[in-house]
Amino acid sequence: MRAALRLRWVQALIVLVTWIVLATLLKGVQTQELSTATDSPFTAMMRDIAASIRGNRTESFLFVYVFNPIRTFIAGFIEFIMGVISVPAEGNLIPLLGWFGTWVLIGFIVYATSNLRTAVFSMFMLLLCGMLGMWLITMDTLAMTIGAVVLSLIVALPLGVWAGLSDRVMSVLRPWLDLAQVLPTLVYLAPLALVFLIGIASATIATMIYSIPICIRITAHAIKSLKQGPIEAAVSSGSTRWQVLTKVQLPMAKRTIILAVNQTTLAALSFVVIAALIGAPGLGKPVVEALTIRNVGDGVVAGLAVVFLAIMLDRSTTAAVMREEQGFAASDEQKARRRIGLAIGAVITVVAIYLSRYVLWFAVFPEQLNFGEQVGAVADAIEEWITSNLDFLTVGISQWLTVWGLNPLEGVLANSPWWLTLIAITLLAFILAGRTVGILVFFLLALVMATGLWYDTMVTLAMTLIATAFVVLLGIILGVWAGRSERVERVFKPFLDAGQTMPAFVYLVPVLALFGPTRFAAIVLGVVYAAPVVIRIVADGVRGVPKESVEAAISTGSTTMQVITKVQLPASRRSILLGANQGLIFVLAVVVIGGFVGAGGLGYLVIVGQSKPELAGKGLAAGIAIVLLGIILDRIAQGRPQKQASIGH
Amino acid sequence: MKRVGTGATLTIALATVGLALAACGGGVNEASSSSAAPAPAESSAAPAESSAPAETSAAPAPADCGDWGIAMHAWVGYTASAQVLTNVAEDALGCKITQTQLDEAGVTYDAMEAGSVDVIIEDWGGGRWQEWVDRGAIEEVGYNGNIGLIGMFVPQWVCDENPEITDGTKLNDYVDLFKTPESGDKGAWLEGPPGYTTIGEKIIEAYDLNYKIINTGSEPALIEAFTKGSEEKVPVLGYFYEPQNFLAKVPLCRINFPANDWTDAAKASGLTDYPETPLVKLASVKLMDSGSPFATLLTNFEWTNEDQNQVALDIENGMDPREAAQKWIDAHPDVVAAWLEGTGVS
Repeated sequence: MRAALRLRWVQALIVLVTWIVLATLLKGVQTQELSTATDSPFTAMMRDIAASIRGNRTESFLFVYVFNPIRTFIAGFIEFIMGVISVPAEGNLIPLLGWFGTWVLIGFIVYATSNLRTAVFSMFMLLLCGMLGMWLITMDTLAMTIGAVVLSLIVALPLGVWAGLSDRVMSVLRPWLDLAQVLPTLVYLAPLALVFLIGIASATIATMIYSIPICIRITAHAIKSLKQGPIEAAVSSGSTRWQVLTKVQLPMAKRTIILAVNQTTLAALSFVVIAALIGAPGLGKPVVEALTIRNVGDGVVAGLAVVFLAIMLDRSTTAAVMREEQGFAASDEQKARRRIGLAIGAVITVVAIYLSRYVLWFAVFPEQLNFGEQVGAVADAIEEWITSNLDFLTVGISQWLTVWGLNPLEGVLANSPWWLTLIAITLLAFILAGRTVGILVFFLLALVMATGLWYDTMVTLAMTLIATAFVVLLGIILGVWAGRSERVERVFKPFLDAGQTMPAFVYLVPVLALFGPTRFAAIVLGVVYAAPVVIRIVADGVRGVPKESVEAAISTGSTTMQVITKVQLPASRRSILLGANQGLIFVLAVVVIGGFVGAGGLGYLVIVGQSKPELAGKGLAAGIAIVLLGIILDRIAQGRPQKQASIGH
Repeated sequence: MKRVGTGATLTIALATVGLALAACGGGVNEASSSSAAPAPAESSAAPAESSAPAETSAAPAPADCGDWGIAMHAWVGYTASAQVLTNVAEDALGCKITQTQLDEAGVTYDAMEAGSVDVIIEDWGGGRWQEWVDRGAIEEVGYNGNIGLIGMFVPQWVCDENPEITDGTKLNDYVDLFKTPESGDKGAWLEGPPGYTTIGEKIIEAYDLNYKIINTGSEPALIEAFTKGSEEKVPVLGYFYEPQNFLAKVPLCRINFPANDWTDAAKASGLTDYPETPLVKLASVKLMDSGSPFATLLTNFEWTNEDQNQVALDIENGMDPREAAQKWIDAHPDVVAAWLEGTGVS
């Protein structure tokens, strides 16, 4: 076993060295570099397809009877929710509910589904959003999130149950689920806007594409892993299949289904800025507007509201999951007390709703509580200090890394003959991940070649790899630290939450001020977004190392360093691998945004394709290339060990 | 199981009660609804004015302007023009204007075809909307008075130290100045953001320049690069354009390439420098055919680069766009009056 492993690494090393030598010798030969304005045959075809879709939108059967009704339905559904909490009807001052009514109602719903502490916490988070001067806009986002979650569940639950009951269905669905998980968000924008036009409907569908697969996976897993005992009992007592499903299986899987809600909610929030780019309302709008006038403060204020809303939704849905887990053990007395609590809460909520309709202070979020401007000013001052005091450091790091890391890597991947790169990557996939993956990777690379965007794909790959290396390094260092000490983890938690939920557009300007329009700026964006996930997964793994083995090592006189390197790291190897895989996919999703900060590559083509109609084909093709790259990276990174269900976020 | 059931039932019951309650009473809405109040009640409308979001201004609604959408593009000059137009349309004509933040060109043209947006107040791309015009979705409404001048610029100090550099054909003498880790052995040529008209590739080819195009991807990226270039004396060669109030803060110097020789049309078609571009107003055919006074206002709208820069500068200095626009409107009553000619309002 060990020898086989070593042989594999030796083979990989030989391939790598040969590759680098050949690439250096053949630098600049047959690189397939294509100027931005030039189409390849494939991108030209995509452009024609896009044009014909545009031209047919008003008459074609598919649009009149399928796409347009879907769009109308979804937009109508979301607008209905918005009418309740965020958008006043024509001539009205407030939506159906004033801010206070909405606030208390949400608190009550959280209380009813989890517990009082979480309810108070949720209301506090929402209050913070209001105090940033973002109440109605936060409610816009919340309305879209609720809508997307409900619609996703309507589609995903039946499919998930079906896939859980039948392995055949699951095997049909699985490739699509895998695909959707590696699909960066920016990629579906152009095709969606093409079919469903800009606005709420497209934004919601984008969210659904992302969250439905997660929902299906979680639900199917839940149904499948139920204990067989109760089901068999129900069958033997003569229940029909439908009864078994609704009376036994669904209730038992309830906990996991709420988990699906949790994941969908967070997915919806990660879309706020993307949604704003296609004309949907919500918190992304002020973020994008602030970027326009490079007003960092305003962007941070809106970004903080996203973070608070995300934390609130995450904690309240997680608490609901926990309650489902523990709730069964409650005593009669506790039940009675809770029933009284619910009744009181209900009365308070009705009163609050009433007040919010009739008293101005309860209807419109009071201006006296709005501290958005002050927060913005503080953020501006911090940004000013960072960009004027830290740039000696950043310029050094960025230049050193570009010259010694990024440029050589790009030289090997992109600036060498395409066939050399193709063969080398395929061989590495064979060696590291086995024959099946090797063949798959070969075909996927051939497809990349067929899009005509080989060079740009390789540029993006180079950035992704460097950023992932950073992310994994950070993840291991900070993850081990957090995994070893609960106190450290508690300090990290808010920063991890913020890093994961703060839209990258918020810190685009400071990053630009520090690093200029460079590929390194894109790498920084990717690291900020992906590192929290990896840190979490690694910390989780380290914490899972059995206490006895750590204590044994300490008692034999190992130093702290030895404990980490000899015991904790090897024991959490699985987590680190999983972390690296997730990190890679997360980085890829954000490196696309690097197109906004001068990083070029596929991300830039996606962006330029959206704004220049004559380059629409290149944008769509670049989207396809990103997807192909995502699958390739995902497959190689998963390597030989069995695939794990990666539900975490 | 039971308790959760109770919770859910309660929630539903509560929601029903709450909504029923909310639906029957008018409450604060009654006070603010202008159509319900027979006389313009100053006192009750006041809180609405101050606290309602900007889009739903409570202006008196005259009969025939209607609801229209203006696309908002991602540069300050555009915001200035669009906001002035919005203020005049809402306050003088009583139109209801919705501003939608959108990417340039394709996305916005699609939105206009779909009917969710009606106006682009400043479009730079010569004729890229033709496909939509042919399909009867978009109409050109003439120039907005602003003259766009795109070009390749360097910070002023670079020109001061190297007076010859403004001759673009000699750029190869300065390659070393503009080398960065991003561009390798070549000079870095920071190209304009996506959606902006760019011909860098053609210029470089035409004069055989030893420069590598870096696609900056966004306007903030360019602005940050030039700011740094100016303040810290880092040489930068990049795309920029006028009108843009940024030039008042950070002086830039334009690199000129030989103008097109129009005597030989075949040669001229391969552009060798950016021409001056009169900026175009575009509108949905729906708006132009509606007979709304807003269409007339849009047709009349015209102002100078200097006008736009004034408003844009205020916005960039942190003034609310609406206030900045109003400040300019109040200072130029005669210009606004000319725009309103033929709308029936003075």
